Amino acid sequence: MRFKQPSVLPGFNLAFGYTIVYLSLLVLIPLSALVIKTTSLSLAEFWQVVSSERVVAAYQLTFGASLIAAVINLFAGLLVAWVLVRYSFPGKRIVDALVDLPFALPTAVAGIALTTLYAPNGLIGEQLAKLGIQVAFKPLGVVVALTFIGLPFVVRTVQPVLQDLEAELEEAAACLGANRWQTFCKIIFPAALPALLTGFTLAFARAIGEYGSVIFIAGNIPLESEIVPLLIIGKLEQYDYAGATAIATVMLLISFVLILAINLIQWWHARRHGMRK
Amino acid sequence: MQAVSTTAVRSAATQEAVWVCWLLLTGALLFLGFFLVLPLVSIFAEALRKGWALYWEALKEPDALSALQLTLTVTLISVPINLVFGVAAAWAIAKFDFKGKSLLITLIDLPFSVSPVVAGLIYVLIFGAQGWLGPWLQAHDIKIIFAVPGIVLATMFVTFPFIARELIPLMEAQGTEEEQAAMVLGASGWQTFWKITLPNIKWGLLYGVILCNARAMGEFGAVSVVSGHIRGMTNTTPLHVEILYNEYNFVASFACASILALLALVTLVAKTWVEWQTERQMAAERAAVYET
Amino acid sequence: MSIEIQSIAKQFGSFTALDKVNLKVETGELLALLGPSGCGKTTLLRIIAGLETPDGGQILFHGEDATDTHVRERQVGFVFQHYALFRHMTVFENVAFGLRVRPKHTRPNNTEIKRRVHELLNLVQLDWLADRYPAQLSGGQRQRIALARALAVEPKVLLLDEPFGALDTKVRKELRRWLKRLHEEVHVTSVFVTHDQEEALEVADRVVVMNKGRIEQVGTPEQVYDTPATPFVYQFLGDVNLFHSRVHGGFAQVGEHPVAGDGAVAYVRPHDIELLREPAPQTLVAKIDHVRAIGSIVRLELSLENGDPVEAELSRDAYAVQRYASGERVYIRPRSARVFAEDYAI
Repeated sequence: MRFKQPSVLPGFNLAFGYTIVYLSLLVLIPLSALVIKTTSLSLAEFWQVVSSERVVAAYQLTFGASLIAAVINLFAGLLVAWVLVRYSFPGKRIVDALVDLPFALPTAVAGIALTTLYAPNGLIGEQLAKLGIQVAFKPLGVVVALTFIGLPFVVRTVQPVLQDLEAELEEAAACLGANRWQTFCKIIFPAALPALLTGFTLAFARAIGEYGSVIFIAGNIPLESEIVPLLIIGKLEQYDYAGATAIATVMLLISFVLILAINLIQWWHARRHGMRK
Repeated sequence: MQAVSTTAVRSAATQEAVWVCWLLLTGALLFLGFFLVLPLVSIFAEALRKGWALYWEALKEPDALSALQLTLTVTLISVPINLVFGVAAAWAIAKFDFKGKSLLITLIDLPFSVSPVVAGLIYVLIFGAQGWLGPWLQAHDIKIIFAVPGIVLATMFVTFPFIARELIPLMEAQGTEEEQAAMVLGASGWQTFWKITLPNIKWGLLYGVILCNARAMGEFGAVSVVSGHIRGMTNTTPLHVEILYNEYNFVASFACASILALLALVTLVAKTWVEWQTERQMAAERAAVYET
Repeated sequence: MSIEIQSIAKQFGSFTALDKVNLKVETGELLALLGPSGCGKTTLLRIIAGLETPDGGQILFHGEDATDTHVRERQVGFVFQHYALFRHMTVFENVAFGLRVRPKHTRPNNTEIKRRVHELLNLVQLDWLADRYPAQLSGGQRQRIALARALAVEPKVLLLDEPFGALDTKVRKELRRWLKRLHEEVHVTSVFVTHDQEEALEVADRVVVMNKGRIEQVGTPEQVYDTPATPFVYQFLGDVNLFHSRVHGGFAQVGEHPVAGDGAVAYVRPHDIELLREPAPQTLVAKIDHVRAIGSIVRLELSLENGDPVEAELSRDAYAVQRYASGERVYIRPRSARVFAEDYAI
């Protein structure tokens, strides 16, 4: 079989060629530079960098906080999507539009705003301090920032699925004697699950790489509230290119794994639902 | 009238008890209030804490102005370049069948999943003083890292997929029949593109541009790595916000941040407007199919 | 303009869409490509238009090789199955498109374009819709606008892909007659694709019956219906009863077709089955299961002694005379039949 199916429409060579060249120059070659640079380290050196105490602590924080934030978003996102699809209330359009704020607001701006609110003398931080909870400059602050960043991912992937869910399915369940909670658990939730997982993974992937919104609220205390991207910048500022590259390569690998996970979820979803179409 | 109601098309059998509706709605709104509305409001509150006079003062400061100017310049360069790329990629991917299509789509999505800091780093590795091309660039007195070209490159990288991502599914859904009809009627490739394809994708294109634009103006991590934070030279507004904040100049920092927040709000309004337009168009098309 | 198709072949992966097809379309005729879905008829039409490239063979327009001529220069009018109207343009702009995209030196001026478009809209009797958008039209109206748009470029050949496929039955019948009249008026060489035998027989001057990438028969509607060349054509055009010589013996020896050995099948149309109340030579015994009056005919469902079903059709008048009742035993005999060898694959 040939590479491309023939077509009467023109411009494939131009468009395809341009796409490949631009993609290679801007994305693929620079990314491969990262990998090649890493290979200049010996395996032992590489291991020494990525297994040092400070780096491991940063990985633990980044992963842990990202995971917690993504789980929070999983539930909060489903709740918000549900409310936006199923209920009508005054100002719904505004709320719907506002969900995308974390996409539109520059991360640094979000970072300083959240820090101001959750700092011990801030509006929310003050109340929480009375309960003995400190958010800003602690790992908890990282979770708050990452929850903010990840919220739209879950809402926007689940929303269309809930929208398209046929009312007849729920009516059928009701006719067969299911109560609302059973209908939700057995009919609605399974239908929304692939979208929920996709949204969860997207939010998680974004959280791992996030920098701007976190560095202000985290306090950046080594071994306690220092995230991986900050560590890379720190190494760069000390001209430790090899160290920065080694840490970055691990992050890149994680990105690839997460892309694979998203594709697998979508493939699984398409296979399950392909039959119905 | 009830303030809260489940949508009209739903039957009583598919409604929750009223107290459940209220509980869920209150929960969702509280969450959004704490996580979205309060931070947004606090930006403006902090910026105006010491009055309008100081607010204006902070905005008129030369470094703040030059940062804003640089932000706009970078956006004006990177968005059109990614626009052309997005259209070309979507044309090739959506209108033709070829092997390895899904791999290409995955590669185009790649910058979404790469940390912005890593995005900045890869350009330092190539163009930086110790990078692959560093010595050659130095010999020819070309500055990319810690200069405007580096900032543009990093911005282009992080905003790379936005427009293509919007257009590919849209153009795939529209198929190629209208283009074929135009070709049969004697239109050339360019005529077909300008007169048939482009009018059909204009809303999707605008939507992609809005998202791309918002990200380009607000990018922080990637730009932070390649910029070098030289005031009045390579500071974009988000970087300027950071510097002012770290100097404990909170009013000035939040004043600049409020400009970015305003732009974000404009983005949300524009985005909602485009969504509304496309919805209206689709509804009109659906409603118009009356019995034959 | 005549079209000659010479051993055109087309493969899609391992699927053979067209297997060295030969066909000649005469100047000014209205030809139907008829066949089940997947028989290659649409592919053949798209190859004539230049929308698809054949793997081998030649297309001649008026004796000149047009195989490598780009779709833009072929001057064909093509009506797509779902019309492919430009949704962002008014009806007027849709029809005018083909004129507006011409290179400057051959492009008519605005008044001329206006005149031509209105002329065409009058021809399809939809001049009053000029300012509407496609979404605001009914299916039948869209179909006629698509036709007007295709005719605007003064094509030498008009090609229509399932022109009535997306319409409901009533509009379909109207449009069929309308297309026939329109063709008599403009008299451009036309080819249309359909899977509906009734449509092909009613509208076309000649019918090409296709199956599995091959042409089974070419002929006038009467020819293909009355003297089908192959069992496929027999079965595709109308209902048919099959009688295997192996099973039904001498019954299959009808008319001038003696059965060649054991492996023969007789094809008999329901209206060619004669019913008798008394036994006679070369008849089979059958029981009437159901009697159904359908419009102007009466359909009888019978079963033979071995259980095989047979269908017979009578006119209302003939039925009024005989008054067959369900449960009754009758003797059946074919008035005419076509016999094919049994191993003829369908």
